[in-house]
Amino acid sequence: MGKAKTDKADGRVALPADCRIADLAAVKAALEAALSAPAAELDGAAVERVDTAALQLLAVFRREAAARGMAVRWAGASDVLRDGAARLGLAQTLELPAAMPA
Amino acid sequence: MSTVSLAQFHQTFFDESHEGLDAMETALLALDGGGDKELVHGIFRAAHSIKGGAATFGFPDMAAFTHEAESLLDELRDGRRAVDAGIVEVLLRSVDCLRGMFARAQSGQPLADADSEALRHELAAMVGRTLAPAAAPARRSDDAATGWSIAFRPHRGMLAGGNDALRLLRELGELGELKAEAELDRLPGLAALDPSECHLGWRLELRGDVTRAAVQSVFDWVEDECDLTIEALPGAQVHHAPVVAEAAAAVPAPAAAAPKAAVREAAATESSVRVGIDKIDSLINLVGELVITQSMLDTFREDFDASRLEMLQQGLAQLARHTRTLQESVMGIRMLPIGSVFNRFPRMVRDLSQKLGKQVKLDLVGEQTELDKTVLEKIGDPLVHLVRNAIDHGLETPDRRRAAGKGDTGTLRLEASHRNGSIVVEISDDGAGLNREAIIAKALQRGLIASAEGLTDEAVADLIFQPGFSTAAVTTDLSGRGVGMDVVRRNVVDLGGSIQIRSVAGKGSVFTITLPLTLAIIDGLTALVGGEHYIVPLASIIETVQLRSEHLRTVTGGGELFHFRDGWLPVLRLQDAFACHGTRRPIEQGLVVVVEGDGSRLGLFVDELIGQQQAVVKSLEANYRRVSGISGATILADGSVALIVDVAGLSRQLSRRRAA
Repeated sequence: MGKAKTDKADGRVALPADCRIADLAAVKAALEAALSAPAAELDGAAVERVDTAALQLLAVFRREAAARGMAVRWAGASDVLRDGAARLGLAQTLELPAAMPA
Repeated sequence: MSTVSLAQFHQTFFDESHEGLDAMETALLALDGGGDKELVHGIFRAAHSIKGGAATFGFPDMAAFTHEAESLLDELRDGRRAVDAGIVEVLLRSVDCLRGMFARAQSGQPLADADSEALRHELAAMVGRTLAPAAAPARRSDDAATGWSIAFRPHRGMLAGGNDALRLLRELGELGELKAEAELDRLPGLAALDPSECHLGWRLELRGDVTRAAVQSVFDWVEDECDLTIEALPGAQVHHAPVVAEAAAAVPAPAAAAPKAAVREAAATESSVRVGIDKIDSLINLVGELVITQSMLDTFREDFDASRLEMLQQGLAQLARHTRTLQESVMGIRMLPIGSVFNRFPRMVRDLSQKLGKQVKLDLVGEQTELDKTVLEKIGDPLVHLVRNAIDHGLETPDRRRAAGKGDTGTLRLEASHRNGSIVVEISDDGAGLNREAIIAKALQRGLIASAEGLTDEAVADLIFQPGFSTAAVTTDLSGRGVGMDVVRRNVVDLGGSIQIRSVAGKGSVFTITLPLTLAIIDGLTALVGGEHYIVPLASIIETVQLRSEHLRTVTGGGELFHFRDGWLPVLRLQDAFACHGTRRPIEQGLVVVVEGDGSRLGLFVDELIGQQQAVVKSLEANYRRVSGISGATILADGSVALIVDVAGLSRQLSRRRAA
């Protein structure tokens, strides 16, 4: 249930359980911080609720990272996150892992 | 070399062509009932103008399509071919198809689709020509699935408004197989992104047996918060071009290929009114008169003495007269004949009655009756609903009519007229009438009433306006789509009107809609209540009476009744209703304004009446918020604000309170 966290050194961002429009300011700040790291790692394993605004934020981040030639890896993605991304046609943009690697 | 852009003329071309198509449709329907040569000429001329315009303004697909229709019409005109039901059917479908093309042209999409191509081939085949198959529209004949292509672009604020696109797409996904492709081109950079704003858009493909209405209803809540276009997928609902010769031998109206619900996309972004030159001339004339009056009044500024007082008064009276006439003329610009709404019914009635196997004769009366454009635009849907209901539920099939001792053909009558400063539209049929028992049974089942005892016929009829009420034994695709009479009533009431039903079992029903002429100005009586001014719309006032205390009866529960004509009416003290300050006057010291709203009468008790005046209605909702019992506000001559009493609303409040 923790808030989005980032660690400058390795650019890790853990997405919160409730990843929806009301709580995205912290996620955005964490993602912005992660952009300054050489590579980023997103952890969406804990996501229980997600909405369009959150997926849009992630898409914007992925595009910005790609534009900077920065590698982004998923450490995990919950079913809810993958389902949401697929329904919005963003699965490819987000490069979510097809099945969750443990 | 500079070219003149023709795009500036497109809107005029569209407007004129819409009129042409309407004329074609009307003439075709008349032709169906055995019309004459002149009608064929009229249809031909309309088609010819559209073809010419389409070619000039760069719509080759439309020109090619119209060309085929024109060739067929040419044969009819020369008498080489006789008019029959099959030809009328095909031409009506062509009109629909052209409407679809215009809708697409207005939103800048490719004009031809699989349907229009199929129809073009069908038309060509009828005049004995075979066209090379068009390359453009992909017709995946192996793919029988019907479906929709949807472009969905939310406005920025949609997500913040609580409408999650993800939820909408999930709902769509439940209708059929949904493929979503996100449009990322409007996404800003991360730093510039406000996460609560929506910058995404989607191109969606929904496959499955889904109606357009079902797709549309998913987006009902976000209609104003997104740009949305819904189109049939190419390959969906393809009418395959029939093989040559057969088609020429009049196929009598194939029921299966019922004309696709006319694609009348509301693509018009800018709304405009076409005004007759005579109206403009009379306006200019009036303004001229005003200027003359004003310069006459101006002379009093220089030298004025008491001897000229009479002249001044005359001048002012003239000014008042001209201002009033000018106001009426300006309002008149917004007035359009109701015929433009009635026009859609002949076609609708024809299609519906064919589909239901009923015989219906449609009578339109009073098409020239004029009403405000805004009212006109909003009254269309309720009328469509009532007409649909009348044909679907009201009128019987020929065998049932014969059994009831009536002629095979039912009559549906739409009549518009001016009555006491209002517009009255009546929709009447000579069908089965309302089924009292079925309505009561349904209302009991729905828990709308506790028992049917003592319910008058009017009260029973009123039940069909309750939300969620529908008694059709079989839910057809015509009525019973969840939008009921409650919506019809709400739409009418929103326009400041009312709706009543009279129905006689076995004889038919009459729906009477009463609408105000305009929404912008009302005639009202200014009343003083607790030191504040209120305006009671004149149209709802029946009489003003002064009561003596012996006329008044107090009933249990604190309500007061007074004797009026041959019955008792409830008294509503406006001072209590609006919680005004001041002392509560005894009934002898005030006046009771007898009003009628929403079908029932009541007396409004006010302190005094000040006078009659015209009030320019300012929306309270737009400037403040909706207040129950108040329909708007106006500004008085001294600059203060007076509230306009919502008689129908108060009457409903009162009856609710009494029912409770």
